[in-house]
Amino acid sequence: MPVKVHIHLTHRRFTDGKEVVEAEGQTVGECLNHLIQQFPGMEKAIFAKKDKLHNIVEVYLNHASAHPNELAKPVKDGDEIHLILMLAGG
Amino acid sequence: MLTPDERERYDRQILIEQIGPEGQEKLKRSRVVIAGAGGLGSPIAIYLTAAGVGMIRLIDHDRVSLSNLNRQILHWEEDIGKKKVQSAATKLRNLNPGIKIEAIDETITEANVSHLLEGCDAIVDAMDNLSTRYILNRCAIEKNIPFFHGAIRGFEGRAMTILPGKTACLRCMYRGSVPEEKFPVIGVTPAVIGCIQATEVIKYLLGIGQLLTNRLLMYDGLEALFTEFAVNRNPECDHCGQIK
Repeated sequence: MPVKVHIHLTHRRFTDGKEVVEAEGQTVGECLNHLIQQFPGMEKAIFAKKDKLHNIVEVYLNHASAHPNELAKPVKDGDEIHLILMLAGG
Repeated sequence: MLTPDERERYDRQILIEQIGPEGQEKLKRSRVVIAGAGGLGSPIAIYLTAAGVGMIRLIDHDRVSLSNLNRQILHWEEDIGKKKVQSAATKLRNLNPGIKIEAIDETITEANVSHLLEGCDAIVDAMDNLSTRYILNRCAIEKNIPFFHGAIRGFEGRAMTILPGKTACLRCMYRGSVPEEKFPVIGVTPAVIGCIQATEVIKYLLGIGQLLTNRLLMYDGLEALFTEFAVNRNPECDHCGQIK
């Protein structure tokens, strides 16, 4: 059973409107790479450069912050990843 | 002691088992800083004033403009061009003359933040940018004063309560600088988040309920969803990491 990646509303235009995408990998980073293989538009949306997420992108694994070293965090079948955008308005 | 007028004004909330007359007196003795008198600051200030928090210090350097009025409900058409803290203080004093309102027309900086936050029991984040939030976060930790975070964009918002040295702070989640933007927003979003922040402040001041500590509450107005994420203290945090 793969990992479920929850896509932020802002990014769903890159995933054909899908709110949840299934991805496979041993780590958060591998799952995000698999997500990008399926939906290449997600690469620029979440990565500033190779292996460096945009500062505004937060990663939560099983409803807990994966920060710091998000990409290296191990995952197992059935885990859930949420990609969230930091908010700054008031 | 509560006056007869105060007993009548706050009668319905004194009826709440967790508040009672003792809780109302605690609120009356409390001093809260609200940093920002805009979209978040408006509902926070209105509800803390209505609830009877004894002193509210409102800080904002801006003036009211037409484009504020879709969300900053303390300011009305007649206030355009006025200082926001003056516009807000007028409404809040009319709402509840028994509350002391300190209106401070200043920009929060590293140089003045310690003075601005002096003598308060709680600091509420109603800012519109991250850099000032981090100034407040650091000072709150240095002064060991609880910090009540809120932020919004569009139909989305978030809130978290920070008890310095005990729970994750705003900086524990820091991943690097984020460019400032003219953020989209509709007034109902800061209304929801501001009310959550005001609720957290009241709970903290009264010592009741479960605070949003180590829990980031995310609100998605479009989906009508609240989602909670666990956030833990980051030992590498440059604001609170050294505090045992």
